[in-house]
Formats: sequence, structure tokens, C-alpha cells
Amino acid sequence: MPTAESYLKPEVIRQIKRLDLRARFIVQGFLHGLHASPFHGFSVEFSEHRKYTPGDDPKDIDWLIYAKTDKYYVKKFEAETNITGYLVMDLSRSMGYTYQQELTKFDYSICLAAALSYLMIHQQDPVGLLTFDEKIRHSLAPKSRRKQLGDVLSLLAKLKPEGKTDVAASLDQIAAMLRHASLVMVFSDLLAEPEPILQSLRRLRHGGHDVILFHVLDEAEVRFPFDGMVELEEPETRQRVQLDAAGFRRDYLAELERFRETYRRECSQTRIDYVEIDTSMQFDKALTEYLVSRRARH
Amino acid sequence: MAFVNPFLLAGTALVAIPIVLHLVMRRKPRHFEFPALRFVQRRHDENRRRLRLRHLLLLVLRVLAIALLAAALARPSMKFSGAFGSQEAPVAAVLVFDTSMRMEYQHENRTRLEAAREMALWLLAQLPPESQIAVVDTGPGLPAFQVDRGAAKHRIERLATVANSRPLGATLDDAVELARESDLARREIYVFTDMARVSWPGESAPRLRDRLARLADVGVYLIDVGVDEPVNTALGDLRLSGEVLSTGRSLRIETDVSHRGPATERTVELYLLEADAEDSGDGVRTPRKREQATATLAPDQAQQVRFEIGSLEIGPHQGYVTIAGQDGLACDDRRFFTVEVKPAWRILVAAPKPAERFSMFLTEMLAPESYRRTGQAAFDCRVIDLEELAKHSLEPYSAVCLVDPAPIGRDTWAKLGEFVSGGRGLAVFLGRKAGEVASFNGPEAQRLLAGKLLRQARRPDGDVYLAPQDLQHPILAAFRDLSESVPWQDMPVFRYWQLGKPGPGVDVVVAFNDGRPAILERPVGRGRVLTMTTPVSDDPNQPDAWNLLPVGLGQSWPFFYLINDMALYLVGSTDRQLNYYAGQTATVRLDPSRSLRSYVLTPPDDAGVELRLTPNAEDDSLTVTSTDQLGNYRIRAGGGSSDVEHGFSVNLAREQTRLQRLSEEELADRFGPVPYRLARDRNQLEGDRSRQRVGRELFAALILLMAVALGVEHVLANRFYGEG
Repeated sequence: MPTAESYLKPEVIRQIKRLDLRARFIVQGFLHGLHASPFHGFSVEFSEHRKYTPGDDPKDIDWLIYAKTDKYYVKKFEAETNITGYLVMDLSRSMGYTYQQELTKFDYSICLAAALSYLMIHQQDPVGLLTFDEKIRHSLAPKSRRKQLGDVLSLLAKLKPEGKTDVAASLDQIAAMLRHASLVMVFSDLLAEPEPILQSLRRLRHGGHDVILFHVLDEAEVRFPFDGMVELEEPETRQRVQLDAAGFRRDYLAELERFRETYRRECSQTRIDYVEIDTSMQFDKALTEYLVSRRARH
Repeated sequence: MAFVNPFLLAGTALVAIPIVLHLVMRRKPRHFEFPALRFVQRRHDENRRRLRLRHLLLLVLRVLAIALLAAALARPSMKFSGAFGSQEAPVAAVLVFDTSMRMEYQHENRTRLEAAREMALWLLAQLPPESQIAVVDTGPGLPAFQVDRGAAKHRIERLATVANSRPLGATLDDAVELARESDLARREIYVFTDMARVSWPGESAPRLRDRLARLADVGVYLIDVGVDEPVNTALGDLRLSGEVLSTGRSLRIETDVSHRGPATERTVELYLLEADAEDSGDGVRTPRKREQATATLAPDQAQQVRFEIGSLEIGPHQGYVTIAGQDGLACDDRRFFTVEVKPAWRILVAAPKPAERFSMFLTEMLAPESYRRTGQAAFDCRVIDLEELAKHSLEPYSAVCLVDPAPIGRDTWAKLGEFVSGGRGLAVFLGRKAGEVASFNGPEAQRLLAGKLLRQARRPDGDVYLAPQDLQHPILAAFRDLSESVPWQDMPVFRYWQLGKPGPGVDVVVAFNDGRPAILERPVGRGRVLTMTTPVSDDPNQPDAWNLLPVGLGQSWPFFYLINDMALYLVGSTDRQLNYYAGQTATVRLDPSRSLRSYVLTPPDDAGVELRLTPNAEDDSLTVTSTDQLGNYRIRAGGGSSDVEHGFSVNLAREQTRLQRLSEEELADRFGPVPYRLARDRNQLEGDRSRQRVGRELFAALILLMAVALGVEHVLANRFYGEG
């Protein structure tokens, strides 16, 4: 019987087919883990009820809870979790890549997005979903109702990463579309020229939005595990390169680090949370990042 | 370069493996989808060049390792000088043996020659089939390739030391020539030597080097059969007071006893061969010890010993000096000698009146009164007036001296000429009485004198004296060892005769210090004439004395020796050699008055072999060329009362038996750049030969190189691929 925390592991989550269950297990694992973590306080904050304290309006007392537990709990106010979150999913073909035939970057992102939706809906934070390739493909307006979770998950489950992508243009489009200051959580492998994307991110930030940029890469893209002579093919452009993988590893990793460093530096300047994720990492990193970001807004 | 397993070189083809792998790996890369290709592309070109270099480097190292392994397994070897083909190809082998008497040195119960022979027979068995083999020794005889191996073996087994050994360098020359004649590609010269310094003289080294240098493809092996620290006591050459002695003179014999090895004491004995008292007429003689001396010998030092025997009878006497006991080398423990005792030489001294006064100095110097009294004088001088010369019979005399001759008749000159031509001697001491030069410049006189008398040269300052330069002439033999220290200037010459153009065959034997001739020699027929341009008869107290030669300014001993040696030369005594070195041609002078048709030579080996000799008619002598046995040779003729006996001795030169060894530096100097191998035993020789023929094995070096190549490949591969 897997422990709750084990659901934070991608290889465990992979066993579960239903996205809603994946989301629930991830969040449960995450919350369970929080008890023993420096983020312990979050778990209280994110429960649906809290203990009645003198000064609270008595009409907010949840009598149903009282009937069950003989203790006073008050429902939390919607105003307390008033963060509108947008999950922005990259539908590029490259997101569908996996080296070890486990979770693709896209699967990983969906799980993460689902978990976040689950978390947010349960906090009664309105959450919306945007998907894009070369432009915005799907748009689900943010709501905090419980039904919203079902909508989000069912949409997420239907998504397929195919075709080319234009991250910068799509982000520009999103920036133009969002009216209220929101928390924009972007899931992308960012495999395009960085400068236009950074430009669009700055624009988004300028629009008053908080941005968490989940830079999701496959484990193979981070570790370059190939050996011997290999021919690598770019799935979108069909470009091919032959090389001696073992001899090239150091150069590749240096280049990747340079790329990430560019984002790290630029995002730090524009106060965008840049989260480096690969498909071998546990989900809690992304969730924690969300919590840190949410707390910063209060 | 030669290979023990040349077919394994085919393994070099395995270098194809890494090359094929290299190419195959390049052609069939595994295919992967990889979205993050953009990170690859940026550095791909630069990386590709670097990788290609690395791959090539690794490929080269791998190929090298395989090639080295294949080469090592084929066991190559490097030769140092020319030798062709495999080890079993036939060779032209010239085996050179030093067969000098030194090779008789005994060590561990074997002579050096036996050791050489044993090694050579072993070597002979090692030579490949069909080889040409020559056995050359330092004895006389022409070198040639033996017919077959059996003949070579037989020749080696019969090798013996010889007393008249040729120098090893000359023999080696012959060997090189012989090797050159061979049409086989591989030529080898084996020299069996005791490495004695005397057999490798430094002066013959350049010639040897030249000869060998032209034969770069000849392998030269020196097989050292010598002994590192030889122990030996040796007698030096005998120094006799004279080979021909006059009656009454004692025989003095000096020699050095030299020693190598720890200090010791040896007894040296002198034996004379004497006829048995009850001689039955067969002439058998037995050695009888006459003297004995003890030599106390420090390591590597020599000691002089001296013997003296008096009152020897007229006739030849033979004997030997020997070191009692035994040592490593026996041949230098005994030295033989022959002396002949004769009655005093009869010399006719003709001088102007008063003859006694004129001849006084000369006769006193030739036969001092004290010697005459005791019968030891070497010469028996008869003094006559010059005027009597014409009538006086010259037959009994061995030489005639004309002291300050006045003009004499042409008949007398002719008579003297006949006397000299018959093999006798004439000395003419020109002086003041020769004022009328016509008699001396006449044709009869000029057939004898060294040249025409021109004028008297006056040197009243006393700064002219005899100044012999080249001391090779027999009359100067006494001064050879003294050379600079002879006080010639103490015997000034004030006046002398200047002679005209020298006659045919005239040699200046002694000149004055002003360059003018003082003593001249002229051979006439079988005899000889000595002309001295200043007299020996002037009274030094006279104010007009021509010279102070007889008395000098205090010492006149040089002139005493000079006059005596002149007289000995004139009577032919200095020509008589009775002691020879092995290999020299011995000449025995016979008494012309007792000429016989044949003589019998008895060599010293007592084998009972006797050789019949016929005298040379023209000069009454016997010539013996086979003097290769050491010892006393005896020549007899007639028999009974008319018995004629002569003899001579043959010795080994002391130099031949010096055992001092050549150092390695000296050896290297002798050979110079010519490569040679020095071996002391079979193992060394075998190793040297295989190195020379097959070369030095490179297996270890190649394996080491291969390990280095693999190591470098490993390190580089780890560095290139391990860094990820």
C-alpha cells in the first residue's frame, strides 16, 4: 500500500489512470508531507474550516461540523483565498516527449496542473485553464465552484500535445485577454528563442499578474543519458544531428545551464518565479512553489 | 631486422578491427527523438571537430597497440651490424688462433691453447651446415678455407704453439682478406686470444681498423682464453759480455728475472753443455751446473742476476740459464746461449820508423800490457816498419793497421787490396807522414781509401771533436746506451785530412762536430777498409800534435772503446752472431782455411734428426732458416781429430711472453669504431652470436610500448568519455 507521500513520485502516479485521482493523491501526498515540513502552517490555512475564535461572526459557524465533532468551526471566507489562478498549458509537440516511456513532459504538466486545480478549488480559489500552441486553443474561465474542478480535469484529460508552438505570441495573447490581476502558471518546455518569450513574460508581469513559470523538461533533456553514436531528431522541425553522445554530454549540459541561467536571471529581475522541473522530480516542488507565491500575495 | 615467428606478423591485419569499428560506429548511430536539439546544435560543429580529433587519436592508439602486439609476438630482433638471413644460414667463419708461446700458459691444468681449442671445437659444432670454415694461426703458412668441417676439426686438434709466431695483427689481416674472398653473405671472424697487450700493439691498430672498416658486414668475436691475474716468473734476454771471446777472457752473463704475482724467491741456475769425460766420440754433451743465484722477487718487479765463467777452452760453448722449478709458463724460464772462444786476433800494425813509438797508443789500446801478461788480450798485435810491409806476409793476420802511413809503393797498396778483398780488414790512420799525397791518391791506393787526400784542415782552437750521430754502426755499439753522456769534447782534434769526393760505397761512420768525415768505411771485395782522417799516434805532449784522442783532457775511454770496436769490426768479430731469436735466419761463419763440403746440423729437440748443410761457396758460411725451435743448435763436420764444431742458440724474445693483459679501454682503442664482441665463455659467445646474427630481441620493448599505448588510450578514453 503506497504511502501518501509516494504519490508525489511520478513513477507512482503513472500507475493511476484517472486524472482526478492523480490530482487528489498528489495533493493528499503533498499535504501529508507538509506536516513534517517547514511549510507546516499551510495545511491549517488550506483546510476548509478553521476553529472558531472569539470575534468571529457566530453565523459563520458550521453547525454540521459542530453536530459531528461537538466543536465550533467556522467556514473560511472566500475573500481570504481570493487568488484567481490561470493554468496555462503549452500544447507543443515537444511537450509530448519522453525518453524512458514514462510520463511525458505534458503528462507531468497535466498532473501538476490537475493537482494545483484540485488544491485551488478546495481553497475556493477560482482557477481557469488556458491552452496554446501557436495561439490560444482552449480557454476555461476561472471559477471556484467545485464543478470547476471537473471541468478543468476533463479538459486537461482531453488535451493532446501536437503541432508547432509560438510561446511568445500566445503569452502576448493571454496578457491581452486577462483583465484582473491573476496568478498565471505557465507549463512549458520553453524550447524556442528565449528573448521573445521573456519579452511576453515581462508584458504579462507588467499587466499586474503574478507569473510562475514552470519550465518542464524531460529527465533525458536534463541529464543527457545517451551513449555512443546517436542521431537526435527534433520532433517539430525534423532536424537531425549525429553526434557522439558521451563526448558531447559536458557541452550539452553547459549549454542547457546557460539557457536556464538566462531565464533564471531575467525572471529574477522581473520577479517571475522560474521553477526548473524535470519529469523525474516529485510533484511537491511545483506545489510548494505555488504556495510560496500565494502566500507572498497576502 | 629479423623475426622468429614472421608469420605472426599477419596479426598486424587485426588493426582493421578498431578501424572497422570506428567506421561502423560512425555509420550506424542509434536514433532518438530529442526536442532539446537546440542545445546540441549550438556547439555541435566545434564539438564534432574535437571529437573527430579524439576519435582519431584513440584510433591511432588502438591500432598502434594491436600492431605492436602483433609485432612483439613475431619476436623481432635488431641487428647491430651486417648479418643476413636466419640464424641457420651458412656463414664464412674464420677462426684465428694466437699460437704464440704465451698460449702455453697453464691455468687450471690447461694451457691457453687447449682452452682455445676446446672452445673452438664447440664453436665448430655450432656453425650452421654448409658453412665455410678457415682455421688460421699465427704460425707461418698461408691461410685458406678448409675443405670441410672434418678438416677444420683436424686442423684445430693439431694446433701447436710456435716460437716464431707472427704478430696477431698481421694474422688478423689475413683473416679479414680471407673472409672477404668468401661469397657467402654472412662472415664471421673468431679470434682466440689471451688478450696479452703485446699481441695487440697500438701501432698496428690504425691498419687493423682500416681493414675491418671496409668490411662492415663482418662479425668480429674475440674469445678471451687468457687468465686475469697470471702468475709467472720470466727470464729476460741474456746479455753476454761477448759472443766471440778471446782466450783468457771470462764470460759474463747478465739477465733480469721478472715476476708477476705474489712475492717469491726463485733460484736461477747456469748450465754449460759439456762433453762427457769418457766421450766415446758420439759428441753427446750433458748440461753441468756452473753457477747459481737466488732472486728475491717482489710482485711485478724484476731483479738482475749476473754470472761469470772464466777460463773457457778454445771452441764453441753452449749452455743455458734457467729458473729452477716450475711456473705457469715454462717457455720463458730458460734462455740459451752460444759463445765461441778463439785465440787472440792477429793484427799487423805497420808504422813509420820508429814503428814502436808510432804504434804505441794503438797497440796499448788493443792489447793492454796487463791483458797481454794474463793472456786475456783480445788482439795479438805484431808491429813492423812500414817499409817492411811490402815484403811481409799478410796471411796470418786478420787485419792490418797503417798508423800515420808515409807514402808506400803501389805494389804494397795492391797487396793490401788483395788482402782486403779476401775478407780481411784494413785500417788507415792518416797523419802528418802523408804529406806527399800522390802515393795515396794513386789508383791502387784509391781502391782502398775513402777518397783523395786534398788538404790538411787545421783547427788549433781545440773546438773540433768526434761527434758520432747515428750509433747503428757496429763500431759504435758500445755507445748506444750512453748516447749523450759520452765526453767526446774532451778529446779535441786540431788537425785532420780533408778528403775529396768519396769513392764508391763509402759511408761516413763518424763525423767531426764541424760535419767533416772522421772515420769512413769502404767495403772492398769481401773485406772492408776503415779510413780515419786523423792519426792515433801523435804524442799529446808535442806542441803540434794532431789530436789528443789517445789521452784526452783527462779521460779517453770513449776512444779506447772506439778503437777496440773498430778492430773487432775489421777482423769480422762483430759480424759473428751466435745467438738468434726464433724465426731469424742464422748464419754461421766457417773458417775459410778448413773448408769442408758438408756439415751436419743437430737441432735442439734431441729427436735424433740431423740435417745436412752445404756451405755457401762465396762467403764460407752456412745458412739455417728453420730456427723455430728454441735451444742450442750444433753444427759438426769431419770427425775424430779433424772435428769441426760450430753452434748457435735460438731464444724466444722476452717481449713475446709478457702476459700483461689489454684493458677494455685499450681494446676499444685498438678496434675504434669497428664493432666487435668479447666473450669469455660459451654462454657469452652464444649470446653475442645470436645478437649479432639475429640481433637483440625487441619483444620486451614492444610489449612495453604496447602497454604504454594501451595505458594512454585508457586514460584518454576515460578523460574523453568519463567526464559526463
